[in-house]
Amino acid sequence: MRAYDSIRMAVAGVRHAKMRSFLTMLGIVIGIASVILLMSIGNSAQAVIINQVKGIGSNLVFVLPGASKSSKFSSPAASQGIIIKTLVKEDADALSREASIVAVAPEVRGQAKIVYGSNDTTATFIGVTGPYFSVRDFVVAEGRTFTDGEVNSYERVAVLGSEIAKTLFGGYDPLGKMIRLKDVAFRVVGVLEPKGVGPGGIDQDNAVIIPITVAQKQLLGIDYYNLITLQASDSYTSEFVKQRVFSIIRESHHITNPDKDDFDIRTQEDALSLLGNITSILTLFLTSIAFISLVVGGIGIMNIMLVSVIERTREIGLRKAVGATNGDILQQFLWESVILTFVGGLVGIMVGGLLTVGIYFILVDIVKTNWVFSLPVSAIGLAAGVSTLTGLVFGLYPARQAAKKSPIEALRYE
Amino acid sequence: MIKLVGIEKRYEDEGESTLALAGVSFEIKKGEFVAIMGPSGSGKSTLLHILSFLDRPTSGEYFFNGHNVNDLTDLDMAHIRNSEMGFIFQSFNLLSRHTVFENVAMPLMYSHDVPIERRKHLVERAVASVGLEEKLYMEAGKLSGGQKQRVAIARALIGNPGVIFADEPTGNLDSKSGAQVMSILHDLHEKGHTIILVTHETYTAEFANRLIHIKDGRLDSDRPIVKARHSKAEFFK
Repeated sequence: MRAYDSIRMAVAGVRHAKMRSFLTMLGIVIGIASVILLMSIGNSAQAVIINQVKGIGSNLVFVLPGASKSSKFSSPAASQGIIIKTLVKEDADALSREASIVAVAPEVRGQAKIVYGSNDTTATFIGVTGPYFSVRDFVVAEGRTFTDGEVNSYERVAVLGSEIAKTLFGGYDPLGKMIRLKDVAFRVVGVLEPKGVGPGGIDQDNAVIIPITVAQKQLLGIDYYNLITLQASDSYTSEFVKQRVFSIIRESHHITNPDKDDFDIRTQEDALSLLGNITSILTLFLTSIAFISLVVGGIGIMNIMLVSVIERTREIGLRKAVGATNGDILQQFLWESVILTFVGGLVGIMVGGLLTVGIYFILVDIVKTNWVFSLPVSAIGLAAGVSTLTGLVFGLYPARQAAKKSPIEALRYE
Repeated sequence: MIKLVGIEKRYEDEGESTLALAGVSFEIKKGEFVAIMGPSGSGKSTLLHILSFLDRPTSGEYFFNGHNVNDLTDLDMAHIRNSEMGFIFQSFNLLSRHTVFENVAMPLMYSHDVPIERRKHLVERAVASVGLEEKLYMEAGKLSGGQKQRVAIARALIGNPGVIFADEPTGNLDSKSGAQVMSILHDLHEKGHTIILVTHETYTAEFANRLIHIKDGRLDSDRPIVKARHSKAEFFK
């Protein structure tokens, strides 16, 4: 029998039992829509996280106080809340002399009650030097940032994150106004564009950024840094810069045995690869769940096809009587299940795509997140392929049952 | 055309063995119109199934157009059923939700000899030959019993087979429709088709020119039918 006839007959078989075909397809539609939706969510989550890491700046190397002895997956001591005083100004000065580093941005952090007039809120303040803003890719919405000159002369100036500016000033212009942190008055010189969550999980939009000198001496009473962010030159790989930084700080700290390091270095690539791994596992996990529903849909197909073979036993007998071979009957039923799953797959892709668009609009327009729309072509291709394969795999057994029937027994079937 | 030598058919069911045909031998020549009669359970339908390749004998030899059926594979038998045999069943066996056209065209789908572009012409000709050209695109399930059987005859004729097997073709029809069906079979015989008819109605058997009588799985008698009525008009008086 020609493929043209097989397909035409299978289409007729599907068309003549519309409700049964629809119900059979439903399992596959749900399965494929889940695969599309969950793969898309996984990809979007990955893109959001990676965008956030990339948004911190470009070509960055982070020097953290305290050592982490094991793999890149273990968190550094400083991020576990342990106070370590090993990173100091001398380290930053030594690093600024290195040719492969174009900018050095040390920082300290603390929490304080911030007051403007009768408004107050508790927020993070970050003490930084002038280059910090460009290294971290901050964009000024209003006013300006501060300079190294102001840092060195202990000027009490502050740059506000976008959210805290709204909290303290509402709709009023904050520029030139005085705010108080731990009873120290600061003049607001700038407001930043929204930036989201930064390294260490700090909500940068709710932070107040002040000169590092003032933060260390007047607010915190410390002489060490919590973090030094370095911007590597584009001419060098981050791995090279990382090794240079290790040498410079070991020399500065008089460390000869690398096992005794009292600091740790992370590059943006480390963070991206770690987050990439985590989100890939998440995507894989979500997709696996979706595939389970696809298997359930496939078993549904097999079940309905078996019922269809029994119901159409006399038809099978008749077809064999007029010359159909076992192969012809096998093809006919296999095409039917493949058409059901293929069409189910296409509908599932459309439903999954629509749900993905719906979720995007809900998260972006209603919940106001930085959600990224992602409908990977690979997911669509995979879904179409897998749905067709499901039809083949789960349709094979019923089709073989149909093909094996003896013509005379099939014709006698009541 | 057909030669049976000592054909036996035995059915095994839950350890119990039933002999349906016990050493049946006869020959049928091309162009004959043979009626097979016998009481219920005599083995006449089993014999027709073996003759029409729907079943295989347990023992004995069956030669069809020179082929020993014992040497044919299931695939060979399917091809011969498609190209050289036509079937008419008591219960019509039409696909009720398919059109007359689709039902009649069915054997052509399994044929490698007929190009797709010739199908429409062949189907129209076959349907016209049974007088149903007006119903070509009607669902088969919506036809009357007599019309259904005429569609089944058109389906049997579509591949221009040498032999047509008819199993109680008038069994489910009123006398008028039955007469129409037998008239068509009579015409086909006149045109040179070999017709093998299983029936329990003497009136229907009288259309044949030879009567094989089966009893208890054995050949009871095999004799020519002496036609008292010589013309078609006389049959349908």
